Amino acid sequence: MYSFLRLSVLLVGLVVSAGSYAVKAAQPLTTADDLGPNVEQPFEFPHDRHAGDAADGGMEINCMYCHTYARRSIVAGIPPVQKCVGCHQNIESVREAPRIKKLFEYWDAKKAIPWKKVHDLPDFVRFNHERHIQRFVFAQGKPVQEACGYCHGDVKKMTVARRQKPLSMGWCRSCHMKDHRIDATSTKTSQGPNDCWQCHK
Amino acid sequence: MIENGFNRRNFLKVLGWGGATVALSGCGNTSVEDGREFVTSYAETADYIIPSIGTYFNSTCAQCDAGCGIMGRVREGRVLKLEGNPESPINNGKMCGLGQAGVQAHYNPDRIREPLLRNGDRGEAITWEKALELINEKVGSVNPENVAFLTGVVSGHVKALLNNYLDALGSGHHYVYEAVAPSVVRASNKKAYGVEMPRLSMDKAKVIVSFGADFLGAWVSPVHFSQQYARFRKPDNGERGVLVQVESKMTLTGANADRWLAIRPGTEGILALGLINSLAAAGLPVSEDVAAAVGEYTSDRVSKDTGVSAEHIAKLAALLKERSPSLVIAGSAAEGYAHGSQNAAAIALLNQVLGNVGQTVEAPSSVPFPQMAPSTGNSFALQSLSDDMAQDKVKVLFSYGANPVFTAPAFFKLKENLKKVPFKVVFAHYMDETAVEADLVLPLNSAMEDWATLMPEYIAEGAQLNIRQPLMEKMYPGTLGVGDILLAMLKQRRPDEYNDYEDFYSYLRSAMVSNKDALGGADKDDDTFWETALSHGVVKLVGEPVNMTGSMSAAALVVPAPFAEDATYPLHLIPAVSASMRDGRNANEPWLQESPDPLTTIVWDSWVEMHPKTAAKLGIVEGDIVEVASKSGAIKAQAYLFPGIHPDVVSVPLGYGHEAMGRYAKGVGSNAFSILDPVFDNETGELAMHETRVKVTKAGQRVIIVKDEGPAGGSQMGRRIALRIPSNKVNLSEEV
Ligand code: SF4
Repeated sequence: MYSFLRLSVLLVGLVVSAGSYAVKAAQPLTTADDLGPNVEQPFEFPHDRHAGDAADGGMEINCMYCHTYARRSIVAGIPPVQKCVGCHQNIESVREAPRIKKLFEYWDAKKAIPWKKVHDLPDFVRFNHERHIQRFVFAQGKPVQEACGYCHGDVKKMTVARRQKPLSMGWCRSCHMKDHRIDATSTKTSQGPNDCWQCHK
Repeated sequence: MIENGFNRRNFLKVLGWGGATVALSGCGNTSVEDGREFVTSYAETADYIIPSIGTYFNSTCAQCDAGCGIMGRVREGRVLKLEGNPESPINNGKMCGLGQAGVQAHYNPDRIREPLLRNGDRGEAITWEKALELINEKVGSVNPENVAFLTGVVSGHVKALLNNYLDALGSGHHYVYEAVAPSVVRASNKKAYGVEMPRLSMDKAKVIVSFGADFLGAWVSPVHFSQQYARFRKPDNGERGVLVQVESKMTLTGANADRWLAIRPGTEGILALGLINSLAAAGLPVSEDVAAAVGEYTSDRVSKDTGVSAEHIAKLAALLKERSPSLVIAGSAAEGYAHGSQNAAAIALLNQVLGNVGQTVEAPSSVPFPQMAPSTGNSFALQSLSDDMAQDKVKVLFSYGANPVFTAPAFFKLKENLKKVPFKVVFAHYMDETAVEADLVLPLNSAMEDWATLMPEYIAEGAQLNIRQPLMEKMYPGTLGVGDILLAMLKQRRPDEYNDYEDFYSYLRSAMVSNKDALGGADKDDDTFWETALSHGVVKLVGEPVNMTGSMSAAALVVPAPFAEDATYPLHLIPAVSASMRDGRNANEPWLQESPDPLTTIVWDSWVEMHPKTAAKLGIVEGDIVEVASKSGAIKAQAYLFPGIHPDVVSVPLGYGHEAMGRYAKGVGSNAFSILDPVFDNETGELAMHETRVKVTKAGQRVIIVKDEGPAGGSQMGRRIALRIPSNKVNLSEEV
């Protein structure tokens, strides 16, 4: 009896492992390892138009103008619809553009826009935006787009954002192991935390 | 069961293989979950709302009637955790475990979500329009004399609306019912001090003698008293106060006392008079009539009657004489007898003789808006309602904030009497025992979705009006606040007066704002006044201390001799009021079931607490299922042996044994209310909760009690980790 039990448990284990290989194999391979899937959004938000360089027709808006929570909270957050409308109610020229019409549909119904998460870490990982922005933007004085870009890539060239980096633990660690200056003027450096519970709590 | 040969070693091997396969399939990729979840933003929000960072809003706790101010931490539109509101003088930023569980009342999966109309034994969902129309029709079709309201404690604007509704009908039948309340003490305080609930300044007392008032656990305003108690124990200057607790069953307060005296049930008054006698003998000045009245209560006699040793009586009298002011409190253990009023009067007289009145027993403040002052309840109200129903005098009954079918003893025959009422409307959160009997069930907002103002019975400083405001959006669109329902009902009766108010919120706001001068907002504009009130959560009112004009006549004071033995029912039943379960209204909150009783550490069940000696006589050991039978009924529960109880007493906690209400309450434990005997206080007619005599017999089964403390006689494998002595070797009354 017991050997039968043992065998069956082993078999279950093998089947599970084969199964999960199969699932992996079926996943579409993205062009580069690091590139995330294209995420379909309720409507396209042109990051390039808002944050892009003036030379490319962008408006060079600071990331933190809309993602205002990034410096104050663990999440960067999506701005309330109110914020989009705050500007757009005064921009007559694009008022009839399909995307803007969509925006005002949500606004008139006082409904939140159901954006999909583009960078979604597993629930056992706690990434703190505030710590990173405070260190790189406010302490070191790095340009905002550069600091955000470490993890989010060159968003100012995208329309709908797409993941550019692997966001795996090894990748996080690769940066945490580097020496970072503690502020703009000091020559002192420190590394990112190495404790498990900094992120897994 | 794993079979014999499949041993640990093999099991681990298999586990290892399984682990390896999981590891194989899991490696090599991040498990970033892009594009699957939503990141929904707000449509509109205030600047101070930051995702992932909590914002606090002030409100008022609804878990008991003490009315502590709370602040709810709200994140992403969800209330997560409650804290005490530091601005409320009742609780000064603290709260109790019962209050903490309030979020589970709000998120409870068993809440009723839409109005239900009886159809046979089923409730059919109907719309609010239909429900209100039905109420209008039923109320309109009967004589107003036959419309009755049964409620728990009500105060503030809800009370005002309720009274206006009754006024509009021309019916005066408002029965205020509290299943567990100090109602006899209130009546005797009224006589002795001229007020029902004087302010007890524990922090000024040097000795407190509490006759069974569990003021740290479940009595009147426990969070407030706990803070006073801390100051009493550790005053800024002066001596540490001494607490002596006199009771037949140890309460949480008793467990904290310096001396716990196990007294024979019902003889509290005798001890109080005996103490007066001893104090007089020791030279404390007492008036002649008092001296005459207590003359026969010699130490010997009192000791014989009460079971408290003469030595302890002498020590206690000496302590009281030496350290003044002191404070003597009559609690539920003293008032729960047929002679409860006399017990309470004797205790009040002791306070008088000790000169405590005006010192530690102080005048409360008057309430500037009497129409909003709390209507406190008692069991006599339910008795009268039950009688009225039995005589077919009630045709339409509204019930709010009470669950009488659960809390009324079986002899009330409340369920049968309810059946005689043709139309019963129950305002409810859950399908509790009373809602199940209703013809129309109206689902209420939780306290975290509702608007109200409340005025607690016991206010620490001055007078105050507490504000309850929603901490988040409603969980279910189909529920309504009690204020909204009453307003809608008033619109049916007095449309001219009330049609202007869109909802209870607008009524409340305009009622507050139009009285802002009296509410301390004379110098503010309307909006500022209202916003300030909401952000503080309490509005402090100016009241005058009322006159304490009681009179105590020692001559009329007769405390009966102790109970005679009863051969058939030899034991006294003490229905215990525990800090988290109280009268059982919150039993469907699993945290409360799960948090161990502070003295026995038992969870998720009732128990029968008895002295080890009593148990030994009956051949009972811990975990035996025993039957506790009174003249009025019987219940079964597990036996728990505990030395902190008088050997003539067994105790069963209240609040357990629901037959309905929800998944966490139903079927857990037994209902001790049900077996209470029909004995009433001589003066007030209140149900004498401690008068029930019972017999205890083994029912045959034995269980392992689920509790936090280690098993009795449990083994530490000789390691002497935590040294202890068996509980039956401790005589708690002799310890200090
Ligand atoms: S004593 Fe506890 S349950 Fe009662 S109001 Fe205060 S916090 Fe709430």
